[in-house]
Amino acid sequence: MTRAEFAMVSDMAFRNLFRHRVKTIITVTAVAVSVALYVFMDAWLAGMNLDSKRNIVNHEMGAVKIETAAYFAGKDEIPMYESFADWEGLARILEKKGYRSAPRFVFTGTLYSRSGTAPIVFNAVDTEREKSLLSYWKFIDAGEYIKNGTRGIVIGMMAADKLRLGIPQRIDREAFEEDLIASASARADADFIRSLYVPFRDSGEKKRAFSADESDEELDNRLVLSREATKDDMARLWKILAASGRMDVRVATTVDTKDAATGAIRHVNQLIDAVVVGVVNSPNPQTNGNVAYIPLDSLQDESGLMLGGRITELLVRSNSAKDSELPGKEDSPGAVEAALREGLAEEGKAFPGDLVVKGWIAFVEDYIAASAGDNVSTRIMAFFLFLLSFIGIANTMLMAILERTKEIGMLRSLGMTDGQLVFAYAIEASLVGVIGSTIGVVVGALANIPMIYVGIDYSAMSEALNGDYGYRVAAFFRSAWNVPTMIGTYLVATALAGFMAIPPTLHALKMPVTESLRFE
Amino acid sequence: MNVVETKDLVKDYALAGIAVHALRGVSLSFEEGEFAAVAGPSGSGKSTLLHLVGCLDTPTSGTVALGGNETLGMKRDELAMIRRRSIGFIFQAYNLIPVLTALENVSLPLVLLGEGRASAREKSLAVLGRVGLSGMEDRRPKEMSGGQQQRVAIARALVKRPSLILADEPTANLDSKTAREILELMLELNETERTTFIFSTHDKLVMDYARRIVNLRDGLVEEEIRR
Repeated sequence: MTRAEFAMVSDMAFRNLFRHRVKTIITVTAVAVSVALYVFMDAWLAGMNLDSKRNIVNHEMGAVKIETAAYFAGKDEIPMYESFADWEGLARILEKKGYRSAPRFVFTGTLYSRSGTAPIVFNAVDTEREKSLLSYWKFIDAGEYIKNGTRGIVIGMMAADKLRLGIPQRIDREAFEEDLIASASARADADFIRSLYVPFRDSGEKKRAFSADESDEELDNRLVLSREATKDDMARLWKILAASGRMDVRVATTVDTKDAATGAIRHVNQLIDAVVVGVVNSPNPQTNGNVAYIPLDSLQDESGLMLGGRITELLVRSNSAKDSELPGKEDSPGAVEAALREGLAEEGKAFPGDLVVKGWIAFVEDYIAASAGDNVSTRIMAFFLFLLSFIGIANTMLMAILERTKEIGMLRSLGMTDGQLVFAYAIEASLVGVIGSTIGVVVGALANIPMIYVGIDYSAMSEALNGDYGYRVAAFFRSAWNVPTMIGTYLVATALAGFMAIPPTLHALKMPVTESLRFE
Repeated sequence: MNVVETKDLVKDYALAGIAVHALRGVSLSFEEGEFAAVAGPSGSGKSTLLHLVGCLDTPTSGTVALGGNETLGMKRDELAMIRRRSIGFIFQAYNLIPVLTALENVSLPLVLLGEGRASAREKSLAVLGRVGLSGMEDRRPKEMSGGQQQRVAIARALVKRPSLILADEPTANLDSKTAREILELMLELNETERTTFIFSTHDKLVMDYARRIVNLRDGLVEEEIRR
């Protein structure tokens, strides 16, 4: 096709759009709506996934974990007896190779507070190493982060609320009197506590979205921590409450050890007294649920877990990694293992045969399942939207081609080939796709702006599900720009629109020219 | 030299399940520069003959040769190329593209032949001038009378200087004054350009202008009159 022919065909196609403006507008609108919805939904999914992945790596586990193969195989059961020793040697080599590492001994138990009990997953950590690798400790809602050598505990905000530990952000009036005011030993302290809480209705806070248990009556009866409370106020309040014994807890757990020779598991019940020193409320709900952090060194002896230097996992992240980015090549399990093997070989040692190096993705099956499910269902929905709008285009083109059958006959009599006619109508339909997609991408992008900078507050839902719903986003679900998808959607919609014109055109071309010319 | 030659042309087709024998063996030849009319009552096969000659349809049997080249067995695209290069069509219903101006409608065959825009414009303006439509080149079909539209259709058929123009009932939708003007124009073009015109018609006026009349009846040549 010559340039003049192309220009003529395109020009004709463009002008044909104005033949039936209403029909064109309706079809363009259908394409625009489906493209906009797709762009919007994809950006939302992309945002939730990006935030989730970043939060997993930054707050939950780093990029890579080193565990024994047996521990990894049974990780859902948290088999503390499948632990390993001599992690310091590995950590030293990793440090030499440009990696940070943090040891953990993970175990389960029941936490007893003055007000109740809750099953908790405990992470015994080296606080300094933990701080160098993860960021959840920067989100201590009240109190402070634990220190090595103490029996302090930092607990997830949701567990703290249930067990009435820490400083409540929201509390009803009866609990306020019974729980907080009663903790004050002096009138001045009681007055101080009263000064820190204001009625919900006067606080300027809004009812949270997706909150099933926040009736008007409950909100009328609710007090919230004043936004004007300073750090010093919080520290003083913590001190008052701690003095009343509110922060004292007891950990009941079973220490499981494995006999190296027989493989028999021995169980020893253990009670550990500790004090809650802080409440964590990070952007990753997994750190805010029934989770607690306790210094690893405080559990080594007979009064702890009798660990004897053993850990269940070593978290790893490269020194060059940034919190804003997802793990790169250097943070892959292969790279970490290669570095470790090289470092061990330099020292004339072999890589321990019972250990495995696994990437973060191997530990978040719940998130992968939630994400994959949402991806599939959202994309199926989007596919049907696409299908509907493109059936609209096919219908419009079918009508246009039927209506112009005589014209097609005339163009064929002038010597236009079948290919040129198919091209001409495909261009016309593509123009509908181009206009619809352009509007759709722009509208989708505009709708994304508030979703990127504000998002939707899902904190109530997150709390209702105890933070355990797959996605690692504790409060605001935000979108993310996904430019490749925007471009891809634009191109696919345009191409698909053009394609929709082909079957009716081919059908019309089956008719002999003479019949086309007689068609009324 | 024969511009068109048909041999034993037969065309059968089914209409609502009934077999119609539109042509039953028509052998005719038309020389360069002829101004001929194929006449006959409705259903005599005159339009079918024009369609077969114009490569718009294929015969059931028999052959059509254009400029000495047989069209039998040619592919769709090859037939399209013959229509593009050698044949101009004028239809009863004008069949102009409504979204294009008079100038663009006339330019269309030239663009299909690969002419550049500027050259196509120049030639089209000249032909529009010849058919008396100077100054109307930017009008769309709906802004023109029936006679003016038919003039545009003639200009479109003529602009590529085809060896053959086939006109299917070209005056049927025109009043007698306009029809006469159109026929005068075509006759003038026939005389000056040596373009062969073949009409299918049952309009007496067209037959008055034609120098040769082929009368068809029931798919067969009934008589030929030469003037």
